[in-house]
Amino acid sequence: MTTHAPSAPPRRRGAYRPPAPIGGRGPLRHSPRHRLTVVAFLAPAIVILTVFVAWPMVSALRLSFTDASGFGREKFVGLENYTRVFTDPDIVSAMGNTALYAVLFTPIAIALALAFALLLNNPLLPLRGVFRTALFTPFIVSLAVAAFAWSYLLDPQIGLLNYWLRSLGIQLGNVLQDPTLAMPAVVLVAVWKSFGFYMVIFLAGLQDIPTSLYEAARVDGASAWQRFRSITFPMLGNTMGFVVIVALIAALQAFDQIYVMTGGGPYGTTQTIVMEIYQSGFRKLELGFASALSYVLLLITLVLSLTQFLFFSRREKDAA
Amino acid sequence: MTALAPAPAASASAIPVRRRSPQARRRRLVSASLLVVVAASTLVLMLPILIIVFTAFKPVAEVNAYPPTLLPGQWTLDNFTRIFTELPFARLIANSFVFAGGVTLFALVFDSLAAYALARLDFRGNKILLIAIIASLMIPFQATLIPIYQLVSDLGWVNSYAGLIAPRAADAFGIFFLRQFFLSLPRDLDNAARIDGASELRIFRSIVLPNAVPALLTLGIFTFVNNWNDLLWPLVFTTDSEMGTVTSGLTLLTGPGGIIPQGVMMAGSLIAVLPLAILFLLIQRRFVESVGTSGLK
Amino acid sequence: MMKRSLSVLATVGAAALLLAGCSGSSSPAADGPAEITFWHGYTEADGKVLDQIVADFNASQQKYKITTETKTWAVIDDTLLPALSSKEGPQIVAMPAERMPVYADRGAFTDLSDFYASSDSNTADLVPQAVDMVTVGGTPYGVPTGFVPLAMFYNKTLFASAGITEAPTTWDEWVADAKKLTVDENGDGTPEQYGVAIPDHATVANGLWPSLLLSGGGQIVDGDKAAIDSPENAKTIQYWTDAITKDKISPTGLDGIAADQLFSSGKAAMHVGGPWMASIAKDNNIDYGIAALPAGPAEQAASAIGVAMGVTESADDAQRAGAEAFFTYFFQKDVATKWSLASGWPPLRTDIPLSDVSSNPVVAALSEIAPTGRALLPGVVNSTDVISDIDELTQKSVAGGNVSELLSTAQSKIQQAIE
Repeated sequence: MTTHAPSAPPRRRGAYRPPAPIGGRGPLRHSPRHRLTVVAFLAPAIVILTVFVAWPMVSALRLSFTDASGFGREKFVGLENYTRVFTDPDIVSAMGNTALYAVLFTPIAIALALAFALLLNNPLLPLRGVFRTALFTPFIVSLAVAAFAWSYLLDPQIGLLNYWLRSLGIQLGNVLQDPTLAMPAVVLVAVWKSFGFYMVIFLAGLQDIPTSLYEAARVDGASAWQRFRSITFPMLGNTMGFVVIVALIAALQAFDQIYVMTGGGPYGTTQTIVMEIYQSGFRKLELGFASALSYVLLLITLVLSLTQFLFFSRREKDAA
Repeated sequence: MTALAPAPAASASAIPVRRRSPQARRRRLVSASLLVVVAASTLVLMLPILIIVFTAFKPVAEVNAYPPTLLPGQWTLDNFTRIFTELPFARLIANSFVFAGGVTLFALVFDSLAAYALARLDFRGNKILLIAIIASLMIPFQATLIPIYQLVSDLGWVNSYAGLIAPRAADAFGIFFLRQFFLSLPRDLDNAARIDGASELRIFRSIVLPNAVPALLTLGIFTFVNNWNDLLWPLVFTTDSEMGTVTSGLTLLTGPGGIIPQGVMMAGSLIAVLPLAILFLLIQRRFVESVGTSGLK
Repeated sequence: MMKRSLSVLATVGAAALLLAGCSGSSSPAADGPAEITFWHGYTEADGKVLDQIVADFNASQQKYKITTETKTWAVIDDTLLPALSSKEGPQIVAMPAERMPVYADRGAFTDLSDFYASSDSNTADLVPQAVDMVTVGGTPYGVPTGFVPLAMFYNKTLFASAGITEAPTTWDEWVADAKKLTVDENGDGTPEQYGVAIPDHATVANGLWPSLLLSGGGQIVDGDKAAIDSPENAKTIQYWTDAITKDKISPTGLDGIAADQLFSSGKAAMHVGGPWMASIAKDNNIDYGIAALPAGPAEQAASAIGVAMGVTESADDAQRAGAEAFFTYFFQKDVATKWSLASGWPPLRTDIPLSDVSSNPVVAALSEIAPTGRALLPGVVNSTDVISDIDELTQKSVAGGNVSELLSTAQSKIQQAIE
């Protein structure tokens, strides 16, 4: 049994190469039996994903080159929808808002989740189980319900938060209709709801770090911050990479709480790309355009994710 | 000694402290300050949840009253009564369980199988398949909703459990998540088994899966919660009010002007959340134990 | 190789699809009554009456059978598109009238010109503005099920304490009364009680500011041109922005729902709302009165809340005939009267006398002010964008923006939206 850290694959990316046993294993890789095994493992998921995910995505792609509304009549319009994505000022503004949202949400949610994971991982903290459950509760409430609760809290007339802060002398005003406060408010709701889940993932990642490493570091006289920087953070690389991608994808698709709390307002300052997609498709019945906008979002997300994935893999290689 | 929660064995206090006074006092101090910090922040973060709980029991007049209060002055069950009398509630809860539960079961099985292949088996197109799967996460549901609906309708599955569950029976997030987890498990044991001639299925079932329990539980909770709370899909898909889920059913409870009264909405949310909370409470102990022991291999 | 396995799986998936595609949607029975599905959003007691009217229609003849499904208006809006796109949708659907033009423009509703032209369709006496709301490019695509102007609801108790005996009838009276009714006892700058609740965005039925603009002699859209940038509109917006920001007769940043709540919690003495405010006020123990919106310098106009129903393109000939037969039945004088009393909205036929609806005082009051009603953006297909442009104009203006700049921005945006 090894006592060093579990080997993380980015160090050995690509094909998994087992240590060559006596007699070699090369030819077995391409054996019909192996192929059958691969297919058997992949089949159920691939069938479902092909039929219910890949095929609709292909449909949507086809629709993006038309002016379809959803019922019947449609005309091929080439790249018109895609051009419109980049020339329509409302769409461009929505892209800017979405970028701002992502830049606010991702680091804050991850930092909060990591901070609590570290706190909850500390054996000196009593009642860890209780806190873990409590901090996970925001996650199990639906985002729409969370949005209603927060809207109620922030209501300028009857909101509890405004009322309490007013008695402390702080005038919050109408947060959700304030062009500078509305975006942070909707980000806050999403952070509040999601950090519990990321925290749980980080907790699992933290548990995988052997305490012997910390012991050695403490014996060497390393401070808490130094221990975090040279042990915890690098060893969480895999987990961190995963959480960043997932958080980024979620941020770029922000919709539910914005729909409930601000409707994209005030005057479009919280309008995100998915809000535009929803409104184009379901309110203005421009399904073709909505599909084109979705694909632009997909491409942007793909590029950003690949970039950060490469970044994290290289960091982990350096940490090795 | 300092009060420790039922902590996993791998903790820094495994070294018995022989010098009592300065060490013990320092530990108690750290414990206390940690407790204060975490408790205070937890309470702040719980505020919206408390709002949901208490508003559910408030009469209409109090919900809009000024000055606002946290606790109800007059506790009432009216909101809940309204929900239970106006909606076929038992049926909705059952449907929610079938939907969320069905999706979770299928997804856990199919996703873990696929994730195992991606993490442990060597084949051409492994990376490309992974990227394709992750890419499918990047298109918002609003864009594929209509094509999926058309598809399910063509299959004749509208208003059926099959149609509700099938599109989610395998999901890209789960495959991605489990693949990352499987990759982090050491290969020594399964390599040894492979040399001994064990089949991949055997390795999967007896070596990898048991070590993956915390990840499976996490994914299970995630999938169950998300599908339980999902509104758009069941709403669009079930035109028959008997087939709706709790979330889609609650949208029917409107007051005059087409707006759902706050109190009723909070009550509905509370009812919708309760099974999830119970489920999580039951599982979380098992989860804690598994997570705790997974580090020692 | 892997690629082959993948393609095998894809073929299996495609084959399953093709096979399933063979089982098409069920076709109506060759004999027996034509089955028609009717979606509507009347979720309150009014919905039960509508369902009863439908049942009566079914009982009165053998050729058609209509089944109703009740969802909320918002849910109908979200679920109609997917349903129609896979031919699973209803044959008759009701929706807020300003949503109709976009659906009609995309071909979701059938042309009802012949129906209207026919002399025994009972459509000759329908309220003309109500029919305007369902007409796109000169062609009617639906029939109204409800049409009522926004009304002013006022709190009689608060009026009495301020010594006001009658509801205001002009703008100047309105603002003067509102000032008297705005009370800031502790002088902290935030009144405890406001004279009136004026939302500056997402107003009730998106109709408050259109009402004010119309009463001030201005327009939003004129034919196929934007007409919002006009001296009349500039005066109107400036007048009301000053009243809200300088005289503080209303909070800023409200939307329609918050305004509803402000009135029902007794914190605002006057409110511009829809018929449902009557029951909300009653539930909150407010002694309320209903009056017409006060007259502006040019006229006394109130934007109307409209609901309409139409025949969808998924209806075959038999179902369409059945729908039209139902509409004819629905507009019979006795049925129309019954529906008016039950829905709490004024009758849709102009030849129903006030005395016939006097048994429901709310209906009587609303019917009296019905002549002030004006359709909101009739025939405008992209009403979604026009409404959000109006919202931006009013919200920014109340927040302190330059009115003439905002008007010219709104003008170009609205022009773009209706092109």
